[in-house]
Amino acid sequence: MTDLVSMAHLGAGIAIGFGAVGAGLGIGFATKGLMDAVSRQPEVAGKAFGFFLLGAALSEACALYAFVIAFMLLGK
Amino acid sequence: MEHWLYIFNIAGHNISVNLDTIFTMWFAMLFLIIVAFISTRNLSFVPNKMQTVSEAVMKFFYGTLDTMIEGKNREHIPLVASLFLFILTANLMGQLPLRLVHIREGELASPTNDINLTAAMAIIVLVYYVFMGIRAKGRKFFIHDFSFTGIVMALVEILEMFTRPLSLAIRLFANIFAGEILVSIALGAMAYFLPLPIMLFEILVAFIQATVFMMLTIAYVGSATGEEH
Repeated sequence: MTDLVSMAHLGAGIAIGFGAVGAGLGIGFATKGLMDAVSRQPEVAGKAFGFFLLGAALSEACALYAFVIAFMLLGK
Repeated sequence: MEHWLYIFNIAGHNISVNLDTIFTMWFAMLFLIIVAFISTRNLSFVPNKMQTVSEAVMKFFYGTLDTMIEGKNREHIPLVASLFLFILTANLMGQLPLRLVHIREGELASPTNDINLTAAMAIIVLVYYVFMGIRAKGRKFFIHDFSFTGIVMALVEILEMFTRPLSLAIRLFANIFAGEILVSIALGAMAYFLPLPIMLFEILVAFIQATVFMMLTIAYVGSATGEEH
């Protein structure tokens, strides 16, 4: 079973897996930063949460790049 | 997600057009135009309901621009506001039950699930910020000084002119596209119950992605027209 289609499917799985690792690390660090900021200064919680959502969306996008690559590989 | 391709021939070149994207895009634009027309009718010193909402929306853009660009920033309002409102309307349209309307191929969904639309918007942003940078700084937009670091930084910025629109386009497209795939997978797993929380999450994603696109546009314009890169 080493034809091109199954290799492409394997590559799709590997792509989305490693992409999710990076995005998970990124959102984890963003949450850590939010927790640090809120515990140090609870009055900035609302403003910090907006920046957290922005940063989380930006790092989540990296996983979605991997998702697009995986989907292109699945379409082979 | 297949699109309804319409292929026509101009001077020996086959040009394909995604008809479903065009239809949903015009639907979103028509909605925005009608809302803008209604909310600017009968403006008064004591605002009515529609005027209050539109003034709050405009204040949101003013506040965001004021925090990210110093000096004369009101001239960027038309691009920034129309990008945000259009992307928001387009993303939220994906949650409407438009798929019940059957067309020949493809389906009526959010127009931002087509990479052609997001790439076109990203290229508009690229052209806009390069134009604004050249107008603000002239030749110094491309190269600050003829030292080694100056030339390296100029090369990096030319590289950024390709990577910035690419990441803008793929980010918006992939978020909406992944949402639709996720909803359809959830629909296959447990119909009618599992897609609901995911669709609620997609509404949040719609707002966040419109904000991200707008914020990045403002950041690019600000870094192009600001004093230091």
